Amino acid sequence: MRGPPVGFPASALLDEASMTSALSLRGISKAFDKPVIVDLDLEVAAGQLYALLGPNGAGKTTTLRMAVGLADPDKGNIHVYGIDARRDPRKAKAITAWLPDDPMLYDKLTPAEYLGFVAGLWNIAPAQAAPEAERLLKWLELWEVRDTRCEGFSRGMKQKVALAGALIHDPQLLILDEPLTGLDAAMARSVKDALRAAVDRGKTVIVTTHILDVAERMADRIGIIAGGKLLAEGTLDELRERAGADDMTLEDTFIRLTSAPALA
Amino acid sequence: MIGWTMRRLPAGSFAWLVLHEVRLSMRARFGKRRASLTGVLGWVILAGWLGIGVLAALGLAHVPIEPNNGQRIAVLVAAILGFTFMTSQALIASQRTLYESGDLDLLFSAPVPPRTVMSAKLVGIVAAIALTYSFLILPIVVPVAAVGHPRLFGIVALLAAMALLAACLGLALTLVIARFAGPRGARTLGQIVAAVAGGAVFLMSQIANLRGSGRGRSAYDQLYQWMTAHGYGSTGWTAIPASAAFGAPLPIVLLLAATALLFALTVTAMNGLFLAAYRAGGVRLSPRRQARGGIARHFHPGLFGTVFAKEWKLLARDPALVFQVVLRLIYLVPLFFVGLNNKVAFAPGLAFMSVVIAGQMVGSLAWLTVSAEDTPDLLKVAPIDKAAVDRAKMIAAIAMAAPLIVGLPIVIALSTPTGALVTLALTLLGGWLTGVLEVRFGKPAPRSSFRRRGGGGGSLVRTLLQFAMVAVLGGIAGGVVLLLTFDFSRTNLPRAGQAPNVSMLRH
Repeated sequence: MRGPPVGFPASALLDEASMTSALSLRGISKAFDKPVIVDLDLEVAAGQLYALLGPNGAGKTTTLRMAVGLADPDKGNIHVYGIDARRDPRKAKAITAWLPDDPMLYDKLTPAEYLGFVAGLWNIAPAQAAPEAERLLKWLELWEVRDTRCEGFSRGMKQKVALAGALIHDPQLLILDEPLTGLDAAMARSVKDALRAAVDRGKTVIVTTHILDVAERMADRIGIIAGGKLLAEGTLDELRERAGADDMTLEDTFIRLTSAPALA
Repeated sequence: MIGWTMRRLPAGSFAWLVLHEVRLSMRARFGKRRASLTGVLGWVILAGWLGIGVLAALGLAHVPIEPNNGQRIAVLVAAILGFTFMTSQALIASQRTLYESGDLDLLFSAPVPPRTVMSAKLVGIVAAIALTYSFLILPIVVPVAAVGHPRLFGIVALLAAMALLAACLGLALTLVIARFAGPRGARTLGQIVAAVAGGAVFLMSQIANLRGSGRGRSAYDQLYQWMTAHGYGSTGWTAIPASAAFGAPLPIVLLLAATALLFALTVTAMNGLFLAAYRAGGVRLSPRRQARGGIARHFHPGLFGTVFAKEWKLLARDPALVFQVVLRLIYLVPLFFVGLNNKVAFAPGLAFMSVVIAGQMVGSLAWLTVSAEDTPDLLKVAPIDKAAVDRAKMIAAIAMAAPLIVGLPIVIALSTPTGALVTLALTLLGGWLTGVLEVRFGKPAPRSSFRRRGGGGGSLVRTLLQFAMVAVLGGIAGGVVLLLTFDFSRTNLPRAGQAPNVSMLRH
């Protein structure tokens, strides 16, 4: 199975100085009825696979929605590859992809039409986008249903179409909220391999997941968020050390850290 | 009431399952918040309607009701119209019950015979249809029948028979359409039939009202005389509905027996066909299309082309929703007859209508393109100019309304080409401004919610603003065309109290 496409010009938007930090959140706060995110600092280095973990309602999705420009923080700064995302959102969005938990699809469009639409939004030339779309559709085993409307698709198939949409402009920063939801084991494995391959090519991937085993195996660094605050952050070994035991699984570490917020 | 009854029935029994289906249908149709203002208003209207029925019953208690030919024809026409609406409702209900309710796996995995489940679902469709029309008819009919005219209970039997027949037809059509075009095709047909039937009833009433005055016989008179001449409604099988409604025992028995038998056969056939298909591999909401060729045709250069293509596809693939929205314009059609009946106002009237109707149509379509957005987040995370997207959406709406935008100015051009150009410009301006209002005040929502709202048209304030705006522009267009078609050289301005001479006008 082939990996996701390479070689789109989004990287041309980046300058040398911005290449060390892929996503930087500084002093971010957000409240709805009550504070959801409180003075959050988060730094994700370029070329890493970063797993953001946390219990339900911890603020993971809100944090990521602010990072991709779907929600405005009440205060704080957001930089994507050195681009001030609040001051120049279009430039930041051009190199970012967002795959939410609930796929952003049009039921009445086919996968091929959907990719055509997304490529148009990211201003990818048809001559460049069409072959990449074909490659993605084949890779995700959607080629045979490329002309079938998405309305009858299963959850997993919809997730794959949305994933293709997220990858078609070859983003530098992929932010994926529960990307493996609904995928069968073989496809989940393929997606994990593809995300790893993207990181190996210098892209940055941020995922949220409830499958701690995935984070344990794949992530270069792990952030644990709860109550709108970053409780702990580091490699798996660093987290174990912080939790006070060297031989713990990530699940044990996660439970210990999230049940003892004083550690933060 | 339904919940109260269900609690007193054995759970899982046939009657319990039927009531469950009726409850689902009622909630899908009327919502489920009993405490909402709409709910309270509904009960108040129902109580008022019942009050009128009681008053009518008291007034008619000692008045003999002997059906004449006109009343029999009226019953036949009402039955045909009612049956059309019932069939459209049956189509939608069948599609929802069989393909979209999402509860078949649950019900078939329960320790209840699958045939009981299916039969209950089908009876539930009949009950939901009958209940809907019962709210309209029974508050009047039952009091009148109960106080001195028991033969009118035949209307209840007629209603039941019509519901049974409509359910059979709706189920059969749903299965056939689902076989060839997918289950959603059945729903689309049901929505279109309902919308067209509703519009046709309104149009017929307007035509009858407007053309009936001063032009001899009205359309109703002509229909009545045609039906009388052919004996429709009073003799032969076409007399059965009226005879049943007015309490003749034999037609009542015939109708009920025939429709019940047909329904039983339908249930048996459905049990076999649908259950077999379900067990064989489930059901698909849309037919899987054979993929053909490459995909390059789906990729468009530039943001405008991309958004425009997507909006066109979405509009073209949801004809039921477009029908619902566009048919709102039918309520403006009487304006046509006002203009056409008045020679002085012909061209100016067309100019006014062009701006108003085309503007409203663009506004309605813009409401769909701008506000019916399934993935607003995708547009927000894309590196694009929102204003450019909105422009593309508005232009897609204008393009779809183009036949109407251009049509009336072409007719006006026969009288005054300059006036036609002015009308065209003001029509485009009106359409654009209604779109701007939609962009400014509209809130994105999934298309499915627009379907539930029945193409209602967004907020009342916005709709009124849009109408006021196009009305003003239409007035300007009409005024300009009036000035251009008015022959001042032959004008003798009328004195006070003197009507203007029609010969003053060129046309």
